[in-house]
Amino acid sequence: MPNMLVMDMEPTADCSQPEHFARSRRLQAWHPLAGKALLDRLRITGRPRPCADPELAARLRAGIERSLGQVPLSSLEVVTKGRLNRVLTCEDHRAATEFGTGGPSVAMACGALVDVLFRQLMTVGSIGDAMADGMAALAVDDHRRDLVSWIDHLGAADRAELAAEVARQADGISRRWPILEPGWFPRTQQSVRTRLLEGTIELSGRVDLAVGRPAEGAASVAFVEIKAGGRRVEHRADLHFYALVETLRSSVPPFVVATYYSRTGELDVDPVTDDLLVAAARRTAAGVAALRDPSSNTWCPRCLAPTFAALGNDGERTPTARVKGSDR
Amino acid sequence: MNAMERTKALMAPAGPPADEQVRSDLRGGMLHALSPEVDGLQPGHEIVVTMSLLRQTQSDPAGLAATEAPFSWKPVFVRRSLGLAVVEACATGRFRAPAAAIAPIASEAVAEWEHTGWRTYHWEPWLAGLAPGARATVLADALGWATSLWSAFDWSMFITMPQLGGADDQWVSPTSPAVRLKGRCELRLAVAAGDVSSPASGEGRGAAPLALVSVSAGCPGPGWREELAFLALVAALRSPARPLPARVVGVWPDSGSHGSVEISIAALEGAMDRVAAAVRARSEARLR
Repeated sequence: MPNMLVMDMEPTADCSQPEHFARSRRLQAWHPLAGKALLDRLRITGRPRPCADPELAARLRAGIERSLGQVPLSSLEVVTKGRLNRVLTCEDHRAATEFGTGGPSVAMACGALVDVLFRQLMTVGSIGDAMADGMAALAVDDHRRDLVSWIDHLGAADRAELAAEVARQADGISRRWPILEPGWFPRTQQSVRTRLLEGTIELSGRVDLAVGRPAEGAASVAFVEIKAGGRRVEHRADLHFYALVETLRSSVPPFVVATYYSRTGELDVDPVTDDLLVAAARRTAAGVAALRDPSSNTWCPRCLAPTFAALGNDGERTPTARVKGSDR
Repeated sequence: MNAMERTKALMAPAGPPADEQVRSDLRGGMLHALSPEVDGLQPGHEIVVTMSLLRQTQSDPAGLAATEAPFSWKPVFVRRSLGLAVVEACATGRFRAPAAAIAPIASEAVAEWEHTGWRTYHWEPWLAGLAPGARATVLADALGWATSLWSAFDWSMFITMPQLGGADDQWVSPTSPAVRLKGRCELRLAVAAGDVSSPASGEGRGAAPLALVSVSAGCPGPGWREELAFLALVAALRSPARPLPARVVGVWPDSGSHGSVEISIAALEGAMDRVAAAVRARSEARLR
């Protein structure tokens, strides 16, 4: 399980007396970390930071390519976290991975709005009217045109409900996230990509927040994903995929990957280790194999049933989708 | 390769600039390659060749026939010029990191336009009219771009500050219709001359060799060498006022990739072939 914030909470008074400890536990209701404590949770993982290791990156790359048979494709196949999740999940559980791929919904709108508001906070340091700022940000993104139109046509009650939730989450991130030091090089929506098999497979991702000067010796970059909804099992695998792509592209892994749940203020933190990267490489190889060959033998991690791709039903295998293949 | 090694490689001594005869031969060769491609086309409609067109000709030739949408401002059109201004402000020591510079630099540009009416970057009125949320998105995009360029090099190693941005190199063929080559690079840097025994004459003589840096999104494609050499080709064709670049370095921050091309006649000829192929593909798309 990821390290939860609650596990970091330390009693603040002398806890040598049992009755005091029990009272303390009752009184210390869990609350989200904020400010320096939140940053410390990201920065201090309790493990040594990985070092730049071109050999590890080369081994991971070679491992994926070897498992795919090193046969280049004739066209470029772009592999994203969303495509991996869909192809590695059985039909019964596929709906859970399809968030954001169907038509707009209030949850999807909330997620998109919170994403751009977090970006605003990290860039200019403040959020004004959350709904107005979020809608203005989405309006300058051509890819969000349909979503903006959908929100504009929401009924008054639904829109008010959406605005209230967006404002609540924006208030939460504004209060809890400190202004990041410019010297930490905070950057939002960072694109990370790398190509395999003579450039015919591209692993591609977009990280909500990357912090830390790009590494040269020891790992110095942290990746954070913002989720406006509830926790899903795919979230950790998504981040592990990003850690793998970063390692392959720069030879230095991020030292930590984390998911911040803006609805609750929870922060799931995973220190990046060699084992994590190897597991991510295996999962990615299995996913790419399933995308390339629907008859390949993969199994849903939730129920061990044959995956959607194994059933020969991957709806994205058109040439256009192959080239575009983006989650966003 | 880390930022220090990349900077060292960029600054490494290069061969002397090519002489005017080489430039003259290049112009002749380019015209010879272009003439058959534009024959039979209606005059008047200029064909513009950029690095982006060279890439699209290889990766998505069918897309050349698509109708271009009318221009409207988007964050992507702002990020390079604002990002370059941010990097320059950091390189000159005014700010210590892009995140500190982005908001002041954008505000100053808008204030200057409001005060004088002069648009240094062209986007000032658009940015000024945006709501705070949209403006923050524009700044965030530019900040990401600037941070990539700022982290790609060790700026303390530059003995003389590279020129950041500046006008695109352009050359227009005397054909009908005309073919306009546009080369855009992010950095121009004078580097030390290496092999001084090589013959150099004409107006380029005495000038320090020039290295260019091009920043691109995504991953380098199979034709990245010719695409980088294209920038040197346009610079060579345009005028003898600047030395012909001796080296072009490409940086692809998304994929952590970089590549360098030492400019030679063979490299320039490879770029000419790509230009001719792009003009041919564009012409065919027009005739469809």
